[in-house]
Amino acid sequence: MIIEARDLRKTFVVKRRRGKREEVEAVRGIDLEVEPGEVFAVLGPNGAGKTTTVRMLATFTAPTSGTARVAGFDVAKEAAKVRENIGYVSQAGGIDEIAPGIESLLLAARLSGMSRKQAQARADELLTAFSLTEIANRPAKTLSGGQKRRFAIAVGLVTAPPLIFLDEPTTGLDPQNRANLWDEVRKLREQGTSVLLTTHYLDEADALCDRLVIVDQGKIVAEGTPEGLKKEVAGDVVTLRLEGTAAARDLLASQPYIKEVHAEDGILRAYLDDGEHGLPHMLRTLEEHSLGIQSISLDRATLDDVFLKHTGRSLRDAA
Amino acid sequence: MMVRHTMLFLGYELRSLLRNPVWPLFGIMQPVLYLVFFAPLLRSTVPGGDMTDVLAMFTPGSMMMIALFGSMFAGFGLINETRNGVLERLAVSQAWRPAIILGRLLKDVIVLILQAILVIGIAALMGLRIGVPEMVLVLLLMAATGLFAASLSYGLALTLRDENGMSQVVQFFAMPLTLIAGLFLPISLGPQWLQTIAKFNPLYYAVEAGRSLFRGDLSASTIPIAFGLFVVLTALTLTWSVRSLGKLAG
Repeated sequence: MIIEARDLRKTFVVKRRRGKREEVEAVRGIDLEVEPGEVFAVLGPNGAGKTTTVRMLATFTAPTSGTARVAGFDVAKEAAKVRENIGYVSQAGGIDEIAPGIESLLLAARLSGMSRKQAQARADELLTAFSLTEIANRPAKTLSGGQKRRFAIAVGLVTAPPLIFLDEPTTGLDPQNRANLWDEVRKLREQGTSVLLTTHYLDEADALCDRLVIVDQGKIVAEGTPEGLKKEVAGDVVTLRLEGTAAARDLLASQPYIKEVHAEDGILRAYLDDGEHGLPHMLRTLEEHSLGIQSISLDRATLDDVFLKHTGRSLRDAA
Repeated sequence: MMVRHTMLFLGYELRSLLRNPVWPLFGIMQPVLYLVFFAPLLRSTVPGGDMTDVLAMFTPGSMMMIALFGSMFAGFGLINETRNGVLERLAVSQAWRPAIILGRLLKDVIVLILQAILVIGIAALMGLRIGVPEMVLVLLLMAATGLFAASLSYGLALTLRDENGMSQVVQFFAMPLTLIAGLFLPISLGPQWLQTIAKFNPLYYAVEAGRSLFRGDLSASTIPIAFGLFVVLTALTLTWSVRSLGKLAG
């Protein structure tokens, strides 16, 4: 295991007005196991405790309780050893805006113990790999969001660590840059680097990771492979808008080919394993009971449906 | 590793500075303006009205002005780095943490000494006379004052993490500190109560020690007091700022 966390918790003490103190439980008991070489995602809405979890694993924040071993070392007792073995790219990126990107890269390389020559060679290697050579000497503030993010990841990889943490790596990027970044993450997997990334994008977790956990309010609500989690819910989902939602829900829930029915804001979501064959049955049943359909669609189940099943809300609403 | 990392951060800061070498020049405009436009006004307050004596009295004050004002704002750049992730990244890198602050402090002191040499140069053109050992001691005294003010500023920046709050706090402290130090006119001209309050202001000793050195009086008791005070104060504020760095994560 490159990451092994047991019952990690973090409680922040927030000062309120008139000196009152309030405790905020950001992370409420998280267990994680990540295999070497895996791309592992932590998916959840904003405020779910993703960043706090990553910060504890990367030795930035001390856990309130629980233990974690990263690359074989305890994050609390052997933080220096952990730091030698990880790259950490925070949500903010951590690139000095005023200096050219190459300066951040060279400083990070030298701090890890490289000589001037080694640092230059490693920087050149990374600049080429991330197509940054031409803009290496421009002040970082003149670069686009995507370019800055690539610099941030290059800095994180400067020591060629076996594990890299990417906290919300694609937030704020346009679709083109997001797609490019996904390719970079896939390349990391090919090179055998373990990746732990956090995201609130369903498609990102679905497209990139080997395994994931879904977190909500500081706790893990589901864990598995994207395929496995979706299969657990159902293969397909039929979304209906109709008159008399309550009656329709009871009716559909009693049908043997439908696994589960959710009603929310006048919209019904029926989960079934074989949508193509189930849909005609559904239509007939609803017609027999004179329930008028306004709209209907058939889709593959997504991780959002997994989130909905476990939390009762849609990730889109939660975020 | 401690020295190596400090030097790496110092080098990084100095390269940053060399890309924009104009900013520190703005910093010395204030003391230079005071020297050129304010010092002549003081001639009437000095017995004999000799410009050399006026400069010996006024130059130390204007130098402490850059040591204090210039350095008290040193932390502003760091506030941004608490938000843009730079400090977060460095905190989980293999960097020796105090080096993050020490490297910046050394850069601040180097800039300060260069500024001070320029100010002394201009004062010399106007008629100031000072010996080499005295000048070296004056520069060291400035460095000590600057180290204290800058590390205080870094501590404030890392604790407050808010530009508005920081500028209010700095103004709040800087103004009375400079008034009660006798920056422009010696405190000894003032009433007894003012002289008593001044004894509690570390900056007062720095200004008085500076005046003694400019007069060529190496035996003045304020000189060892000033150095001793600033060594202790710097040690305290530096420890505080490094601790605050460790508390960033909450």
